[in-house]
Amino acid sequence: MLPMFAPFSRWLPLALVVLAALWLRTHDLARRPMHADEANQAIKFGDLLEHGRYAFDPRDHHGPTLYYAALPIAWARGQTTIASLDETTVRLVPALAGTLGVLLLFALASPLGHWPALAAAALMAVAPASVYYSRYFVQETLLVTFFLAALICGQRWWRTGRPIWIIAAGACAGLMQATKASAPLFAASALIALAVVVRARPASARLTRDLVLALSAALVVAALFYSSFSTHLTGLHDAIATYTHAGGRAAAGASGHEKPFWYYLSLFGWHREGGLLWQQLAFALLAAAGFVVAFAKHQKILRWAALYTLLVVVALSLTPYKTPWHAVHLVPGFAILAAGALAALPFRPLALAVASGVLFLQINQTHLAAFLRPADARNPYAYVHSSPDVRKIRALADSALARAPGATIRVISEEYWPLPWYLRAVPAAAVGYWSSPPADCDGALVIASATHAVAVRARLHGDYHESYLGLRPGFLCVVFTPVTTRP
Amino acid sequence: MKRSRLSLLLALIALTSAAQAAEQVPLKLELPKPLFAGTPRPIQLPNLEKPRSGKRPDLMVPAGTVNLSKGKTVTSSDPLPVIGELTFLTDGDKSGTDGTYVELGPTPQWVQIDLGASAKVAAIAVWHFHSQARVYHDVVVQVSNDKDFKTGVTTVYNNDDDNSSKLGKGKDLAYIENFEGRLFEAKGAVGRYVRLYSNGNTSDELNHYCEVEIHGSVAK
Repeated sequence: MLPMFAPFSRWLPLALVVLAALWLRTHDLARRPMHADEANQAIKFGDLLEHGRYAFDPRDHHGPTLYYAALPIAWARGQTTIASLDETTVRLVPALAGTLGVLLLFALASPLGHWPALAAAALMAVAPASVYYSRYFVQETLLVTFFLAALICGQRWWRTGRPIWIIAAGACAGLMQATKASAPLFAASALIALAVVVRARPASARLTRDLVLALSAALVVAALFYSSFSTHLTGLHDAIATYTHAGGRAAAGASGHEKPFWYYLSLFGWHREGGLLWQQLAFALLAAAGFVVAFAKHQKILRWAALYTLLVVVALSLTPYKTPWHAVHLVPGFAILAAGALAALPFRPLALAVASGVLFLQINQTHLAAFLRPADARNPYAYVHSSPDVRKIRALADSALARAPGATIRVISEEYWPLPWYLRAVPAAAVGYWSSPPADCDGALVIASATHAVAVRARLHGDYHESYLGLRPGFLCVVFTPVTTRP
Repeated sequence: MKRSRLSLLLALIALTSAAQAAEQVPLKLELPKPLFAGTPRPIQLPNLEKPRSGKRPDLMVPAGTVNLSKGKTVTSSDPLPVIGELTFLTDGDKSGTDGTYVELGPTPQWVQIDLGASAKVAAIAVWHFHSQARVYHDVVVQVSNDKDFKTGVTTVYNNDDDNSSKLGKGKDLAYIENFEGRLFEAKGAVGRYVRLYSNGNTSDELNHYCEVEIHGSVAK
């Protein structure tokens, strides 16, 4: 090959992988209806966007970075009010972070060699869990990306000893902490794995100074976010109190999210549900082969990835509370291990063929999970997901208020998310939420859960047309629409 | 004398035939096992049939009514379903378990059963999906001798209250799926083809069918 084309042949594949990752994460972002958790966080972000208000809630919400990261995207898209905000804007935050994560994984895996690192990046680019939750307005993808960034900066500091890298690593660790309270689990797992695998000393001659710098950077960054950039100092206390609340919830017993030990690993296995096949067996087997290679060969990055992944798998699996978005934390480790297995194959064409086969199967699953059936109850990543029916609410509300300006839209249900998101453009005075039927149930539009429908109907005056709307699979609501507009 | 006896005999035959034609018997349906797993969320929707205790009231149909659709050809607006086969609609298996229902894509979709000859349809029983409490939207059931449903169409049921399927606004009540299926009274509608529309459901955008039974007799 001519030397002038070498950079192209070397970097063009990486550019293509990153572009593919970007497309998979940003294409048709509004396709899936908003999950209750996404809607709740988007409404919270709307308050920050519209009024500049943010206060960390240690009881029911994760860290602040997700909301602050959405600000520049909303501004860039010309959205300054909650009414103008849309799904694409908020989901672009994890989408862009997820794409950056692919690039970071390439850098992290580079000690394996250029082509294996590229394979690792490609495997993460198309991994169903990574793609799905990069299109989902929750903190998990952001946490993975900050984690990878912290590792890269730490890696650079280890080699060069330059303080700027350890400060950057500390800042990334601070961003992790400001993203989700579970950050220490991943940081601790990474450090334990590092301590076991790496015996050599880092290049820096001033370890204590550098560690103080890293810790300071982490604390400053986390404090800035939790204090809402010094406008809500109680947030600093709450950042610690969140662990007390989490502990209290764990001690209280069943949360409804308890799952068996093997739940996370089963997501990388093989199962059929309702005629749909969910499998990542080829990827999982390749990662398992990489695990063996890690201990057969003396490659530190592989051994580190094996040990780190093992620790995270065990920690997550031992925790009774399990949700599928935690699976994204396993993907980078699996991808590095799988790339290690590919690198260990004796012939490059064979490695290429295996990689192509695994990528094809993974893309097929991602297509099914993120594009074909993104809100389907059979989709293992669509966890207690909203029904597509919720999209009808906006049109129903608009026509109800057009018929009866000044009247109220009532939502009477023990569970109502994501409806506030779909009613975000309705003036606050024109919509109300009740967890049980109030004395006066009449309104321009009344949405009642199946549980309350009979009681609500008994309290309505005049004629109402009734139709049905699914909040999520198995949770039905009755929509009461006045047949004639009353004064 | 002979002529009057003959007239009497003919009159008797006619009366007997008329009596037989008018004789109504309960439609016997074979029901699958209920599939709701665990304790279903209590559902008391006032616009639906009131919750019953006991069996569904019998639907009276003319004596001699049989299931005309078993094994008959099914076509659809979604000719290549992702899950299942169109033949599942008329294969007699209404259990509702995986591998026994067909899943049609999102947006309004229809299925059509060709009875092979014009028939007098007494009742149509439909099992969309009965392993979860859900309501299918814009359910419309029509009978016609025109396979394109452009002429001579009898609408047996229509709950498309906002005419989103462009088949006319319907006033029938929506209903929650369960193992009993939904029984539509066709009142002797005549046609060779039966077409059923739906437009997603309260759980997802897809359209499902476990089984469709068309009960009636061949039109003379």
